[in-house]
Parts: sequence; C-alpha cells; structure tokens
Amino acid sequence: MKKLLIMCGTGIATSTVVTGKVREWLREQGLENEVTLYQSKISEELNRIDDYDVVVSTTLVPDNIKGKVIDGVPLLTGIGTDEMYNHILGKLNQ
Amino acid sequence: MWFNPDLVIIELESESREDVLLNLGNQLVKGGYVKGDFIESVLARESNFPTGLPTKPFGIAIPHTDADKVIDPQLAFASLKTPVTFNTMGSANEEIEVKLVFMLALNNPEEQLKSLQRLTEIFQDEEMVLKLSQAKNAEEVNELMESSEKARF
Repeated sequence: MKKLLIMCGTGIATSTVVTGKVREWLREQGLENEVTLYQSKISEELNRIDDYDVVVSTTLVPDNIKGKVIDGVPLLTGIGTDEMYNHILGKLNQ
Repeated sequence: MWFNPDLVIIELESESREDVLLNLGNQLVKGGYVKGDFIESVLARESNFPTGLPTKPFGIAIPHTDADKVIDPQLAFASLKTPVTFNTMGSANEEIEVKLVFMLALNNPEEQLKSLQRLTEIFQDEEMVLKLSQAKNAEEVNELMESSEKARF
C-alpha cells in the first residue's frame, strides 16, 4: 500500500479540495485500493515527510524537502493538471 | 445563498493586499462570524503561506486561516477596483495581480467540501471570473454563483 500525503498551510481549505479530486482520480485509475490518502497541514508533517511515498502540497515548502513535493495548485486553477497527475503516477510507480 | 450581503464588497479601492484583507476581515468580525484575532491570523498566514491563484483572465486570492478562529463559517467576497499584488500559492517569490478575493472562514472542511469544490470550478471558468469582477452588487454576485451551480447539476 502506497502512502500519499496532501498538505496545505492550514490543513483545512485547499488540501480538502485537492484530496477530493485526487481521491476521484485514484478511483478512475483503479488505484483506490493501492493508495492510502492522508490530509494534513505542513507544520505537522515536516518531521515525517519521508514516511510518505508521494507528497502533494498547495503551499510553500522548505528547500530541503522541495525535491520530494509535487505542486498541487494545478488542481485549484485547472492549469497544468495532466502534468501534475503524470508526476504523481510516476512517483507511485517508483 | 453563497454570500451574506454584508460580506460582499464591490469595487473595493485599496492600495495593498493588507488593506484588502483588513476590509474583508473587518466585515467578518463585525458580523460576529469570526473571533477578533482572525484578521491578525489571516495576515500572518498570507505572509507565510500565500493564497494567490494564477487563474484567468486575472488572479484570485483565497485568504484563510485556522479553524479555531471561526465561529460561524462564512465566505466573504471582494472585487477590486484596481488589482493588488498577491504572492502565488505554492511557489516562492512569484507575484500575481489579483482582482477577486474570496476570504474563507471555515471550520469544518468535510461539511464545506462541496462549496469549496464548486468554488474551484468557478475559478477555472474564465467567463465566470470576468463576470464576477463586473458584478454591481451582492445580489448579482450571488446570482452568478448560483447560475454556475445550476449549469453543473
């Protein structure tokens, strides 16, 4: 089972929207039984970021974890969504 | 109804992001929807976790903060007479010109998920974004928001 974390600044607004969309996407991909979704705020995750296989964030992240994190803002603006999903898929398949 | 009329500001004239946040935040405090320290908290969060979205034809910002500052969940709306600069959500040092601001006072995201999802769909609809920026009063704003809902369901 892969672990996918979705985080934002507050854990309340944008991560909720993104989690809903990613959950739907996982279902479409037939991956809902292979991936567990977690939703949180960034301040609670910084110390355990390596526990997750994939991390999507709608907020700024510190430089030291940048390489690990996928930008989730495309799901809010509709711009660059496919590229973002490909990125997630790539990390899930690693 | 999406917005209480007292939470809609049309063609707000302001010179800075802070000014916009203060104006909208004050309406929320006045109505008793949020605690007094909501505004301070939104201002701090906006600096640390910016909320500007690079939508088309112009940017939108969705300032918000922690749930414990909210008493009665609401959305507040402002259209700006002239755009102000916000930083972009998720990328450092990127600035966008924002003309619509949706201030989110939320405390239960699961219950409010549908509204949030509809909001993001509206953000992705260029024509709707443009129309919202041209709305003349709270009634028009609410009508536009509801018209988009009907189209979808």
